[in-house]
Amino acid sequence: MNVMPSETGQIVWRHRNVIDLDNWTKEDLYFLLDQARHMENVMDRPIKKVPVLRGKMCVNLFFENSTRTRVSFELAEKMLSADVVNWSVTGSSFAKGETMRDTAWTLEAMGADIVVMRHGSVGAAQYLASKLKRAIVLNAGDGTHAHPTQALLDLYTAWKHLGDLNGKRIALVGDVLHSRVARSDVIAFKTIGCDVVLSGPPTMMPRDVEALGCRYEKDPRKAVEGADMVYLLRIQKERQQDGLFPSVDEYHKWWGADNKLMSYAKPDALVMHPGPINRGVEIASEIADGHQSVILEQVRSGVAIRMALLYLCGGGVR
Amino acid sequence: MRKKLFRNFKIFDGEKFIKADSLLVDDGKICEIKTGINCQDAEIIEGEGRILTPGFIDLHAHFRDPGEEWNEDIYSGARAGAAGGFTTMVAMPNTKPAISEPSLVEYVLTHSAKAKSSRILPSGCVSKNREGKEMSELLKMAEAGAVFFTDDGSPVATSDLLRLALQYTGKDQPRIMEHPEEKSLCIGGQVHEGRVSALSGLKGIPAASEEIDVARGIALTRETKGRIHFTHLSSKGALGLIRQAKKEGLDVTCDTTFHHLTLNENAVINSGYSSCYKVNPPLRSPEDQKALWDGISDGTIDAIVTDHAPWHIDKKDEPFQNAPFGIASLECAIAVLIDYKNKNYPKVSLELLFTKLTSSPAALLPVKWHKLGSIKKGSVADLTIIDLDRTRIVDCNTWKSKARCCPWEGIALTGWPVMTFAEGRKIWEDEEEL
Repeated sequence: MNVMPSETGQIVWRHRNVIDLDNWTKEDLYFLLDQARHMENVMDRPIKKVPVLRGKMCVNLFFENSTRTRVSFELAEKMLSADVVNWSVTGSSFAKGETMRDTAWTLEAMGADIVVMRHGSVGAAQYLASKLKRAIVLNAGDGTHAHPTQALLDLYTAWKHLGDLNGKRIALVGDVLHSRVARSDVIAFKTIGCDVVLSGPPTMMPRDVEALGCRYEKDPRKAVEGADMVYLLRIQKERQQDGLFPSVDEYHKWWGADNKLMSYAKPDALVMHPGPINRGVEIASEIADGHQSVILEQVRSGVAIRMALLYLCGGGVR
Repeated sequence: MRKKLFRNFKIFDGEKFIKADSLLVDDGKICEIKTGINCQDAEIIEGEGRILTPGFIDLHAHFRDPGEEWNEDIYSGARAGAAGGFTTMVAMPNTKPAISEPSLVEYVLTHSAKAKSSRILPSGCVSKNREGKEMSELLKMAEAGAVFFTDDGSPVATSDLLRLALQYTGKDQPRIMEHPEEKSLCIGGQVHEGRVSALSGLKGIPAASEEIDVARGIALTRETKGRIHFTHLSSKGALGLIRQAKKEGLDVTCDTTFHHLTLNENAVINSGYSSCYKVNPPLRSPEDQKALWDGISDGTIDAIVTDHAPWHIDKKDEPFQNAPFGIASLECAIAVLIDYKNKNYPKVSLELLFTKLTSSPAALLPVKWHKLGSIKKGSVADLTIIDLDRTRIVDCNTWKSKARCCPWEGIALTGWPVMTFAEGRKIWEDEEEL
């Protein structure tokens, strides 16, 4: 494992795999944010490449469609000089009923050092990690459970704007029930000391919402009141067919972010969204394109934070 | 067969520990029980203060035979039961084909006899082919040897069918065993609706699903003056309804499982969503779990069952959402329970737990089997020896069962069965202990 110096003294980087953030401390989070800042500098250089992962093989294994997460990981890997393999799931044996155990053994036999995986099943990343002896796993989303790199890039974006995040308030609005982004964000923002409030239709909230350790306000105006950050979650239109809300229009009217809703937040509150955005559903264009929006910055942060993670977790793989 | 003399045991007779410390077995039956038996020509089994109980009875186990023998079969299942201290198990009928006609009831009995190990008793489906439409030939199946009627794996599909089955079987035929679940609340469900579903985003299976079906069963039992047994109870609410029904004097009984007594939803979370913990009904809240222990203590729960649900490792060893439901536990269930009780409920007596595994479940079987589960002069010599001081690590790789996944793998437990006898014949012994 890497031992890295930091501003707060010596820190031992103890995370081999990144499955979820529930075992991360505030110090781990700040240490990573700090590393990401250095990585972001690399992105601005004329030659965007450092040799820290030279000779390492990264496999990006995506069982679900993804554009930004996958591309972001790939860019990060390439800027760190890793060899990158994008393992396409359609058309390979993964789609033909191979067990994940066999997939894991195959990856290891091919000499993968770092596996980035997105999978539709909760616990898939943990499962893969348990079957790999040598390679490490970075979870790029496991079902509805966790999306740790998204939460880390959200933190990084917020931190760059607001500095110390202790005591800051964030309102997450939307479909919390089906959102891995919400689950990981709740953990990350709470761990770093934020006050987290959730809002959205009650049918799209976990019944035991208090298990997440934060407050729920049905009325988004109350959730957003005094917030430093307003985070809109993507609404899958299929959820309407599941009967969880009656119409997109009604959703937008109640829970969509527009100038009126944002007037309840702090004047310069940040507007965040994991993308891709549904204009006119969870977010109105006036907000998505407005001066408070940091949605595109989040995309950039994603590359920096993934570089930092790959460096910290993957640099030590023998 | 030579006579067998069991001496210097602490003998549990099905209800309590008795004063006598020895018993003599002849021709598969218990022929004498007292302190200090002398018998020159008998094989002697020395107790050294260990416990001798009636062989344990499991009212609910899946053996996947016929149809899916790569997961388990009657032979491996019978031997797994023996290795877990069980001498009688009731096989659930949700096989392929489902046990819903007399010839298939006979199939189970024939193969059970061939296994020459623990006894596997068949149950039959309430509905033909377990389709939930028409009643099966219940009387013919009972005559062939079915001991329960159940569509387990699913509830009896309609209230009308359940009502007819309760009327038809009445009080002189095997009991209806209901798998309590309101299906429309469980579509796509993976875990308990509560903390675990909140933290994982997995679709929840609400406790209300169980409660609703138990309420339905009770109402129909009241109206038909029939009798019903609810299996694998998991929730506080459903248990409360059964408690009330019993007070009212209805012929309503229930069981819970070893895993619902010893695990809760936090185990699923703490495992990082390991498929070993995926089971239906799901592992519920700590509050539900505690309520089950209250139900044991106050007599609401009549029996403890394994709901042994074996799967080949290739099927079960998958990420949580891709794996089938079911915990296989025959070979460690008794130790799991004893160990858990000693650590968490030291005041609950072993006598009470053993009663729920012997005489109490025996009483729910057809009259023919009522003598199982007790140590009395003349009763069948199905016996299990328990060593409360024995510590062993659960190791699925040594199992007789074909299942290779279980929540307790690698865990050291104290208090194990060490020898099992069926009709006076030794069918298993813990060889490591010798």
